[in-house]
Amino acid sequence: MPREMLGEFEHQVLLAILRLGGEAYSVSVVLELEERTGREISQAAVFIVLRRLEEKRLLTSRMDNMVEETGRVRRYFKPTSDALRRLKESRRTLDRLWEGLDATLEQA
Amino acid sequence: MGSDMRTPSDSPPRPPLYVRWILRLLLNRDDRHMVTSDLSELYEHRRARDGDRAAAAWLRRQLASYPYRLLADRLRRAAPSPARYVRTGEPDSNRAGESVRNLFRDLRHSVRSLVRTPALSATIVATVGLGIGATAAIFSVINAVLLQPLPYSNPSQLVRIYTDAPPNRWGLSVADYLALDEQQTSFSHIAGYTNSTITFNRGDHAERVRGKFVTWTYFPLLGISPLRGRSFSESDGVPGTEPRVVVSHGFASRHLDGIDAAIGKTVRFDGRAYTVIGVLPRTVGPFEQDRAFFAAAQWEAPPRRGPFFIVALGRLRSDSELSVAAEELRVINRRIFPIWQDTYQDEKASWGMMDLKEVVVGDVGTTLVIVLGAVAFLLIIASTNAANLLLARATQRSRELAVRAALGASRARLLQHLLVESGLLAVGGAILGLAVTVGGIELFTTVGADFIPRTREIGLNGPVLWFLTALTAASVLLFGLIPSLHGSKSRFDRALRSGGRSSTDAAGPAGPRRLRRALVVSQFAVAAPLLIGAGLLIGSLANLGRVDPGFDSHNILTAGISLPAANYSAPSDVAAFWSEATSRIRALPGVEAVAVASGRPPNQFRHTNDFVLEDKPTPPGASPPAVPFLSVTPDYFDALGIPVIQGRVFTDRDDFAGPDVAIVDETWARRFFPNESAVGRRFYEGGCTPATCSPVTVVGVVGDVTYTGLENPGEGTVYQPMLRGIFLERSGYVFVRTPTDAMTVLPSVRNVVRELDPTLPLSSVATIDERLADSLDTPRYLTILVSAFAAVALALSIIGIYGVMSNFVQRHARDIGIRIALGGTPSNVLHMIVRQGMQLVVVGMIAGIAAALILTRFMSSLLFEVGATDVLTFASVAALMLGVALVACFVPALRAAGVDPVRTLREE
Repeated sequence: MPREMLGEFEHQVLLAILRLGGEAYSVSVVLELEERTGREISQAAVFIVLRRLEEKRLLTSRMDNMVEETGRVRRYFKPTSDALRRLKESRRTLDRLWEGLDATLEQA
Repeated sequence: MGSDMRTPSDSPPRPPLYVRWILRLLLNRDDRHMVTSDLSELYEHRRARDGDRAAAAWLRRQLASYPYRLLADRLRRAAPSPARYVRTGEPDSNRAGESVRNLFRDLRHSVRSLVRTPALSATIVATVGLGIGATAAIFSVINAVLLQPLPYSNPSQLVRIYTDAPPNRWGLSVADYLALDEQQTSFSHIAGYTNSTITFNRGDHAERVRGKFVTWTYFPLLGISPLRGRSFSESDGVPGTEPRVVVSHGFASRHLDGIDAAIGKTVRFDGRAYTVIGVLPRTVGPFEQDRAFFAAAQWEAPPRRGPFFIVALGRLRSDSELSVAAEELRVINRRIFPIWQDTYQDEKASWGMMDLKEVVVGDVGTTLVIVLGAVAFLLIIASTNAANLLLARATQRSRELAVRAALGASRARLLQHLLVESGLLAVGGAILGLAVTVGGIELFTTVGADFIPRTREIGLNGPVLWFLTALTAASVLLFGLIPSLHGSKSRFDRALRSGGRSSTDAAGPAGPRRLRRALVVSQFAVAAPLLIGAGLLIGSLANLGRVDPGFDSHNILTAGISLPAANYSAPSDVAAFWSEATSRIRALPGVEAVAVASGRPPNQFRHTNDFVLEDKPTPPGASPPAVPFLSVTPDYFDALGIPVIQGRVFTDRDDFAGPDVAIVDETWARRFFPNESAVGRRFYEGGCTPATCSPVTVVGVVGDVTYTGLENPGEGTVYQPMLRGIFLERSGYVFVRTPTDAMTVLPSVRNVVRELDPTLPLSSVATIDERLADSLDTPRYLTILVSAFAAVALALSIIGIYGVMSNFVQRHARDIGIRIALGGTPSNVLHMIVRQGMQLVVVGMIAGIAAALILTRFMSSLLFEVGATDVLTFASVAALMLGVALVACFVPALRAAGVDPVRTLREE
């Protein structure tokens, strides 16, 4: 059955959420990604991808209104079991493709 | 103080307006809230880590990326993803969602295809935008001037009452006004005013200001209440009462230290002290526009019927009928006629009334409607041109559309796509049109204020915006729907089979081809009347420019001087001033001659007077003739170089003591004494009879000079000695002739006048050549405007025929190739193609000329010595159009004649 592959950035965002304990809001995702990739991450891009992943039913979210005092709104996102399965699939696919290529890359 | 204490400077800078706008458009409230919350949290984090500047720069980058990313995401989501069908197993959530996605897809597709053909898109947007904008701008003027009621309360009740002595119409006299006011019953108010320009003195500063002398009923009649102070009461109009004045908002702010301080102040007008009792609101109606003061008129009961200088206004009672009121005016006029018969004998003259709006609009209405017609024609041509271009493209794209149809797109879907495309172009056109409208309105309210009444009321208001919207919608229908319908209807199977190549039976669908030809025909049909109209106006303007003013107009400086009645009450004071001023100016170096007159060529004179010839008394029941009367000093004819045909000019002895003499012009002499000499003839001035006055003797005949405008053939002029005329001339124009540039003597002339009386300003300083040129401004602007439209119309039509013929040649390249291969000569081919094109042009032109024959009649009042059906103009325009169209057809035809048969056939 043909299945849409996870995009690279979608992949990264999902992994960042997992690294942050399996549930995270967008600011922490941005900061985590920046730390891990060493690049400046666009908040808009993260926001859009989170929204898209939720539409694809790969994330669920809940509002946290802790923030009456500060006026802040935080939406926490959590990968669904479908998302975890897709991540594993992706990893397996990539691993299979990587097999035996270490030497080739070393030479390059 | 904890670290989460926030001061205003801690919060991130507000996103720019366009970002907020786009966020609002693309995100719901919760998402928006979340996004801004996230951004501000990240901003604070950055600030703590990297410092203020780096954080602010980061925020700017983030904000700048938002609109783009959100829009890109929205467009991506608009396209249905095939994977989604598979995954969810449902076709799609809802139909509305699908059509929105379709719309977005069409939008994306359209933007891409329009950007791929930038020249085409830009041409359409520019022509349609200009057309829409120009039409809407002219409409804004028409709306304000012609359509909107006058900005007074119940304006439909307002009329002007005038003395009707066909062919002339003039004002009422004091005697008339008093009788009318006393006897009428049809009007709730009667008011009268005279326009006046007076000298305003403040310290040693003198300025000419325009205003009105009004009866106390003027403001109540129009329904105007002063912003500060009060308006007049009945007692203010009684002669001998302390003079009172209401001033404009601008005058109070400029000269009287503001509107509140103005009340109670004393101002000196023409040397006389007036007490300011009121200040008008800033926004006023057309009768108050550009008027600085409104003084209470104090009219003495008159010794005789004339002169007729009062503009009388009336407000009809709500229960009175127009016809009854009109009859009442005639009855009152007949009733008072016998009382004044000694001084006024024109029994035929009566009183009439006209809608006040007509008075304001004047003859500008015709001009405006003609200009609106011209731009509307232009818009039609621009739209048909756009239709033509899009149609050509739709034909070329028939294969693309056929593929889509074959893959299952419904006709409605294809139609929607094509309509979205033309809609996008129209939106571009509308935006440009709006800009052009705004620019046009700016132009009309500034430069146009001299030619157009009610300019204060012109603006980008509701009606204008509605008109703009309607124009846009109409042009979308015209240039969008026609090509779209054809595009979506083309025969897909055939388009596919032919492989998009040309061949005789698949040279594109016949429908669009016919339509394109019809559009070209209609373009020429519309361009022809425009060009003919422009041609007639150009001819008329040229004729006006050739009118001989009747004298040597070069190197004459003129300026107005007005002596205040308060300081120059005695006729001897007036006489002394004029003679002293002329002799001192004459003594200046570089001055050849000096004169003073009460009028100024080509279009200024103060009095029209009627008269009765001693030898040829007016037949009973007829109105006596009336012509302009000018008062002039003896040197006038010499200074201006007006030839003396017969008799003599005035001398210094023609003053108060001498007998009554007059000089007439040739037209007058020919009109009343066709085959005899006019010198020695005598006449009685209007209002005189042998019992009351002595007759005036004609002592000379001079060449014709116009005072009623170059476009009006004179009916004769009477000159009287400056110090002898029926009016004591306190206002006059000084004429100074110099050997070279007349403006060089202006400073010394100013000095002379200042030495004589420091309170006197010079007004409307100009050379006669400037006056002559300025008098043609209105026809010149109209001509330039219409000619510009006509030129654009011609250009668009030429583009149209060129496009059609190029397309024709392209489609028939193979046929032409065969023809040449079979022995046809290039000249055969050339003839065939040119004939094809010129057929369309000639058909369009014949229709256009027929239309012009009807339409130009409406502009005959604007034409000077050119007939509305002037054969030369019609023929020249026809020749011009044929010539240019011939070239436009020739270029593609030459290309066709150069077709290499071997190559075209090999391509098959």
